[in-house]
Amino acid sequence: MPLVRRPSPPTEVAAAPASLTEGTSDQRWAAVRAVAERPDGVPLLAAALPLESDPRVREAIFTGLARAPTAESVEAVIPYLRSDDASLRTAAIDALRAMPEATRPYVAGLLADPEADVRLLSCEFARTLPESEANRLLGDLLVRETEKNVAAAAVEVLAEIGRPEVLPALASCAERFAGDGFLQFSIKEAADRIGQP
Amino acid sequence: MNEPPAVTGEEFRKVSDFLYRRTGMLFTETKRYYVERRIADRMSFLKIGSFPTYFGYLRGDVDGEIEKFINAFTVNETYFYREEHQLRCLSTDLLNERVRAKKPGETLRIWSVPCATGEEPYSIAMWLLDNWPEVDVQDIEIVGSDIDTECVAAAQRGEFGQRALMRLSPALIEKYFEALGEDRWRIVADLRQSVQFTAANLMNRSETRQHGKFDIIFCRNVLIYFDDASRRLAAENLFESLVPGGFICLGHTESMSRISPLFEVRRFADAIVYQRPPGGTNG
Repeated sequence: MPLVRRPSPPTEVAAAPASLTEGTSDQRWAAVRAVAERPDGVPLLAAALPLESDPRVREAIFTGLARAPTAESVEAVIPYLRSDDASLRTAAIDALRAMPEATRPYVAGLLADPEADVRLLSCEFARTLPESEANRLLGDLLVRETEKNVAAAAVEVLAEIGRPEVLPALASCAERFAGDGFLQFSIKEAADRIGQP
Repeated sequence: MNEPPAVTGEEFRKVSDFLYRRTGMLFTETKRYYVERRIADRMSFLKIGSFPTYFGYLRGDVDGEIEKFINAFTVNETYFYREEHQLRCLSTDLLNERVRAKKPGETLRIWSVPCATGEEPYSIAMWLLDNWPEVDVQDIEIVGSDIDTECVAAAQRGEFGQRALMRLSPALIEKYFEALGEDRWRIVADLRQSVQFTAANLMNRSETRQHGKFDIIFCRNVLIYFDDASRRLAAENLFESLVPGGFICLGHTESMSRISPLFEVRRFADAIVYQRPPGGTNG
């Protein structure tokens, strides 16, 4: 048979990691991945994140932080929810979603953030919370929310995890956005799914 | 057989949304009975009487329920020539592209991970021998790896029951297997010696790095079971295990785009696969 069987190539000898912030993107990627395996890696990754411009290396930093799901990691990632760069915002939300337990204490604050975009992105985190907590937080948001896109994001999550106790908040939201056809439709759809108490 | 539970249309849409978000599998109203049957089986097994209670149990992943629920929608057993369209893509497109990118004489390396008891890497070898015209002029190395050392040992033995051979023609069985009796067959010695088996954990970077770089990786139906953080780590380990321009084939219900932005999507006639962008070094 023509297929060949060869021993695996020799183990790659891991070179001492180069600086997280210097060298080529391949060198920085390798350094980041090595540092991410160290127990003291989080502060180094957190410090490197604002200086890194290569999306692939940034992705590895976010993964390294998500693999160490601590308050320090979450606090390093949260500022990127406010980034003007959509890919960074997406990377941040993906990283936070990958550490749901560590992110949990921050969700209430994020849902009350002054920036509507942050509130909108944060609705997604509610999916990872216990249902009762998620319903309470999204219900609180719906009764005060002034941005229809944020309200729509919350309603979309509630269509999956909503419980009857959130129906009054949905009704209140429907009243405030009475002129918005899309939101009216979404709220009715969510309420129908939730059903009657 | 358990009667389907009383699932309302709204509840069906909830569970469909959940499945889509978690796995990428999309079940519309036409598949409602199929979904309800599987919910009924899980509820009966768990002795849960109402769908809302079960859905809470599922969402909370109590006792690893998400994995068990997904299992009910996927084919858990492996067999020869499973997802044959990817093998066609391998011989029609992927290998030819890799040959063009390599220096003459360089070995093409293919990794099947996880390889379970060996059906996939042996299928790759058989398929190439029968379907890739270049097979006689290229050096090809096929490695199968699994975290389970008992699976690795079974793969090395190369013995299979009738069920594993269900997709193979009698001619293929005749060509590549020897009968052991009692509906058992063993891969012929030449083919067994053509595939190398090792133990490897996708989550362990030092273990994946030990295997060197591959042109093509088959990593099917495993990432779907990982949580988000583990999926990201595995994706990065796989990225590192590919040469620039190398390809990764996932299971048909899996999407790398939902896991990591590192790879480019490539659409071929027979399959969608993911590619480490060409260029750059091997880092």
